[in-house]
Amino acid sequence: MSTEAVARPQRWWEGDLAYDFLHSPFAIIATAVTIVLIAVALGANIIAPFDVNDPASANVIDARLPPGSSGMFGGYFLLGTDPQGRDMLSAVIFGLRTSLLVGGSSVVLAALVGILLGLISGYVGGWIDALIMRIADVQLSFPAILVALMIDGVSRTVMARATHDALAVPVLVVAIAATYWVQYARTVRALVLVERDKDYVLAARVTGIGPLRIVLTHIRPNVLGPVVVIATINLALAILTEATLSFLGIGVPPTMPSLGSMVRIGNEFLFSGDWWISVVPGAVLVLLSLAVNLLGDWLRDALNPRLGNG
Amino acid sequence: MGSFFIQRLSQTVFVVLAAALVSFAMFRYVGDPVNNMVGQAASLADREAMRRALGLDDPTILQFVRFLRDALAGDLGVSYRFGVPVSQLLTERFPATLELSLCAMLVATLLGIPLGVWTALHRRRVSSHLLMLLSLVGVALPTFLIGIVFILIFSVWLGWLPSFGRGTTVALGGWTTGLLTVSGLKALVLPSLTLGLFQMALILRLVRAEMLEVLRADYIKFARARGLPNRAVNYRHALKNTLVPVITIIGLQFGNIFAFSIVVETVFQWPGLGLLVIQSIQFADVPLLAAYLVMIALGFAILNLCIDLLYAAIDPRVRTGMLSARARS
Repeated sequence: MSTEAVARPQRWWEGDLAYDFLHSPFAIIATAVTIVLIAVALGANIIAPFDVNDPASANVIDARLPPGSSGMFGGYFLLGTDPQGRDMLSAVIFGLRTSLLVGGSSVVLAALVGILLGLISGYVGGWIDALIMRIADVQLSFPAILVALMIDGVSRTVMARATHDALAVPVLVVAIAATYWVQYARTVRALVLVERDKDYVLAARVTGIGPLRIVLTHIRPNVLGPVVVIATINLALAILTEATLSFLGIGVPPTMPSLGSMVRIGNEFLFSGDWWISVVPGAVLVLLSLAVNLLGDWLRDALNPRLGNG
Repeated sequence: MGSFFIQRLSQTVFVVLAAALVSFAMFRYVGDPVNNMVGQAASLADREAMRRALGLDDPTILQFVRFLRDALAGDLGVSYRFGVPVSQLLTERFPATLELSLCAMLVATLLGIPLGVWTALHRRRVSSHLLMLLSLVGVALPTFLIGIVFILIFSVWLGWLPSFGRGTTVALGGWTTGLLTVSGLKALVLPSLTLGLFQMALILRLVRAEMLEVLRADYIKFARARGLPNRAVNYRHALKNTLVPVITIIGLQFGNIFAFSIVVETVFQWPGLGLLVIQSIQFADVPLLAAYLVMIALGFAILNLCIDLLYAAIDPRVRTGMLSARARS
């Protein structure tokens, strides 16, 4: 979706943005860190020294070794081991993958649903518009984390345990996406209301193009810019929401390492002095969240000159 | 004003009813209520009799009405896990959550506003840049990590403050408070700092942005042209106008504080509503979760109604439906 927006010549996306990017050290660092983290997550199977999903790779004798120790049967643990003797570095890499997977999917889902509803709401208007916007209003009156927690919690209670374990990740993605679609819908609707009466839309209508095609092929490209900004900022939020829910023990299933659930496990060993079990995944989470946040902030400022730093 | 009020009120009623419906559906269709009550040895006839006695044979709509009536009367069922009425559990745990949330709000406001004013007035100083960077970290850091870092530093390494629980509490009528004992106050420090830090960063950034905006306004230029001293311009003219939106945001953020108290209570094992609801999810304690759902729907509906009405009272544009521009920013 974003590559398409880049390829198409657009007012704000040409020249200026690239110039701004090259002159903003924060943006360059944030982008570099984000790309490295995503690459590491994608290449988890190759990069991680141990396969944490394979029980044979861990040995309980090696449990809770501090960073930089060697195991009983060889193997060097750069960042130490967790309570089950798994290599922290590998676990963090796989955890990073889970966090990005869940966060990324929920942003995509939220964006798709939000854009679609926003387009419908703005172009069709009438009672459909009123209904969608009323639902959006109601949802915005509740904190996002509370909505995600309740959707996740209620579906967890309603489903049988086995069903839920199998569906835990999709349920989590839906729960997080459900909290963020509103922003897309509202923004897209507002933009559509502006675009709707412009000449090119009128021209398209006069030539007999149906409303569906007008919305999807003519109006949509013109409202995608702000959506990219919202999506970037939301990615950071979605990753944090996933981490928080997993930390609370109601996110991804225990068999799947996620940054949040790793911090949760490490929390129990804080008082034994084994700080690395929670601090290492926590630090990676902060790095990821900061990088994506900075990127989103920069993108918002760069695309919206009105909000410049004055 | 009348139609605005009616519209908001009907929205509120709708939300609460929807939450009640979900909670009723959980009660009615998760597991078999009869199975939950009778032993293994109960015969089919016994079960049938019990089903009839409980009114489970009645039409669904009738059962829903009965559910609503009981809920309004404070009868929210009995917790599977604790074996005590849910309403009793909720009222027991409520003071802990409210005290924590109010303290966090206080911390956030008392630190956030002055620091925000400082960064707006001394934009180019190193300290301001440092504060802005710190506030960004505060916004980007997940609450639970802040809590864990605090525990690691102040409890594990320095040993200054307790890392879990409420300390000694004193009962005042039905209200248990930790504000009157030394151990209670010490126990409150880390959780309220953890909960307040994100809000503080938010308030700081908002105050700075609003203040910068106001300082650009014409009436500030005229005040300066009139020869008023900086102090009068900054604090009497600029700050006052900055604070109007800030105060409304603080009001709106109370809901968020309440939501994140769930996380903080889990980190610090704070015996409030949040810890209770997380445990109820983990143990599939349906009555407790269902009651909590209705409770937060009602609580937030009332809170939002109050905020809306306050808005309408302060700002006449709201009544004519121009709220959206403000709400989006």
